[in-house]
Amino acid sequence: MKWLEEPKNEAERLLREGLDQAAERTGDEITHRRVWAKVSETLEAPQPRFSGRLVFAGAAVLLVAAGLIAYPHVRRLSQERAVLSGVAPKGTTNPAMPLLPKNVPGPAAGTNADAEQQTALIEAERKPGHVVSTQKGEHARVALGGGAVAELAENSAITWDKQQRPSIEKGSARLSVPHQQPGWRFSVTAGPYVVTVVGTKFDVRVVNHSVGVEVTEGVVEVWRGSHSTRLVAGDSWHGPLYPEEGQSIPASAAPAERPQALPAPAPKTTLPPSRGLPEAQAALQAGDTNKAVEILLRAAQGSGPAAENAAYELARITRYNLNRPRQAVALWDKYRTRFPAGLLRTETDLSIVETLSQLGDVGAALAEADAFLARHPASERRLDVQKLAERLRAAQAASDSR
Amino acid sequence: MGQKQHTKTPLPTQSSFADAELVRACRAGDVEAWRSLYDRYAPLVHRFTSALGVPVDEREDAAQDIFIAVYRSLRHFRGEAQLSTWIYRIAARHAIRLGRRRRTREAMRLMMLTEKPAILIDPSERSTQVATLDRMLAKLPPKKRTVLVLFEIEGLSAKEISDVVGCPENTVWSRLHHARSEMVKAARRMVP
Repeated sequence: MKWLEEPKNEAERLLREGLDQAAERTGDEITHRRVWAKVSETLEAPQPRFSGRLVFAGAAVLLVAAGLIAYPHVRRLSQERAVLSGVAPKGTTNPAMPLLPKNVPGPAAGTNADAEQQTALIEAERKPGHVVSTQKGEHARVALGGGAVAELAENSAITWDKQQRPSIEKGSARLSVPHQQPGWRFSVTAGPYVVTVVGTKFDVRVVNHSVGVEVTEGVVEVWRGSHSTRLVAGDSWHGPLYPEEGQSIPASAAPAERPQALPAPAPKTTLPPSRGLPEAQAALQAGDTNKAVEILLRAAQGSGPAAENAAYELARITRYNLNRPRQAVALWDKYRTRFPAGLLRTETDLSIVETLSQLGDVGAALAEADAFLARHPASERRLDVQKLAERLRAAQAASDSR
Repeated sequence: MGQKQHTKTPLPTQSSFADAELVRACRAGDVEAWRSLYDRYAPLVHRFTSALGVPVDEREDAAQDIFIAVYRSLRHFRGEAQLSTWIYRIAARHAIRLGRRRRTREAMRLMMLTEKPAILIDPSERSTQVATLDRMLAKLPPKKRTVLVLFEIEGLSAKEISDVVGCPENTVWSRLHHARSEMVKAARRMVP
């Protein structure tokens, strides 16, 4: 039984209610996204430090180990290929790899739906280095764990990395991922990119030195290092399989709106990206707004989360410190153009709605509010924006009737 | 005894095995795993630091500093305690440090006779009860406040709290007893 669950007086009731409500004070999604955008700037993969001798000795050991490990894998791979072709390897049976019917339809033999129904689900060993591949005219459905399934097209291969994440090695795969538990994400890698999802359907292609992701349902994020871009249903994205050092992750492109071109190398900034924001904050605390703006302007020219944060902060300072709301809206709009799927996109959309509403620009604020509701249907601020939109609509109607 | 049966865990859907997997992936430099860790513990950090008196305008910076501290010291996490307990420990230290700084600033302000800055209120926290609770909690000494918040708001057991604050279980019960008495007295003063 909880303390003061049966309060004896008004004071105890007030105390109990306060404690219960304090337990619900978990912050809103926008605050969490904004903090993550700052934290992600700090994240770096730990660099192992080895001496030259250790590296040499390690390489020698690895060479021997690789030989020992590779043999059974090569053997198993040949067995799987035989299974996919409908021919059981001599003297072997693998209960985890059911034989396909001999007339497995390829693209020319039937529709995709037919192929899906007739292709058995392969429960592959999800171990690092294990490969499932298809040859010309073959299709395969591979169980990836947690109810996720990959449908491999012909001439495609899927493997598992050291963290046991599925990895599309070549060709094309359609992935169906059931909704994941809160706090859990499903991820699949392709070249240097990690595609993370909560629950969705999407295609991943690794063809001609290029990686492509196309989202059919839900939302996915494509990550490389600490850089990411977010894709929603209908979006597609392409990135180079071997990106240049320092090249930012390309933004998403809606197929009908923008061509799927490979990205141009990101402009380099003279300021270290991760230092821009703290320096600007220090300048602001010291009361030097101009210096903060100068720092943020330089940082915003770079790429990645640091530039994204700087671009957003620049607009925020223009709004609240310099008190120039129109200019702030223009800067936030610029942020949206540069980072259409940015980490602070929700916050930016919301800031624009609020600023336009405070400016009394009813028509523009209403259009932005409607766009916000359409773009962020699951946002925690949905109800607030809905109420604001209703008030704006009423104000517009009143103004029209005059 | 009612107190001893208080066994609500802070994150009931997540097992220590899942945390162990997450820690392993984070240590391997997997940014996506860091995002999962952040998503999982950001609400906890926000709630805990709020209850420990970190003001609205400092909460984002506090959360940022706490997760960066988690990132930098995760390699020292031995897995002997739960990940949540370890994060609570980092967050508690940080919140207490911030409180100390705030008190110093306040003392400086009084000495310089400068104008008191406006207190910001989080629009998502318009509840009178929470605001009243915060005023009562602010009167508790930091050690008693931490124990009360961990037990009554975060739902940790006395054993877990003793791991977080680094004192024997008996001391936890003693601090909790005194903190509760002081809170009831404060509540009575507010509601005559």
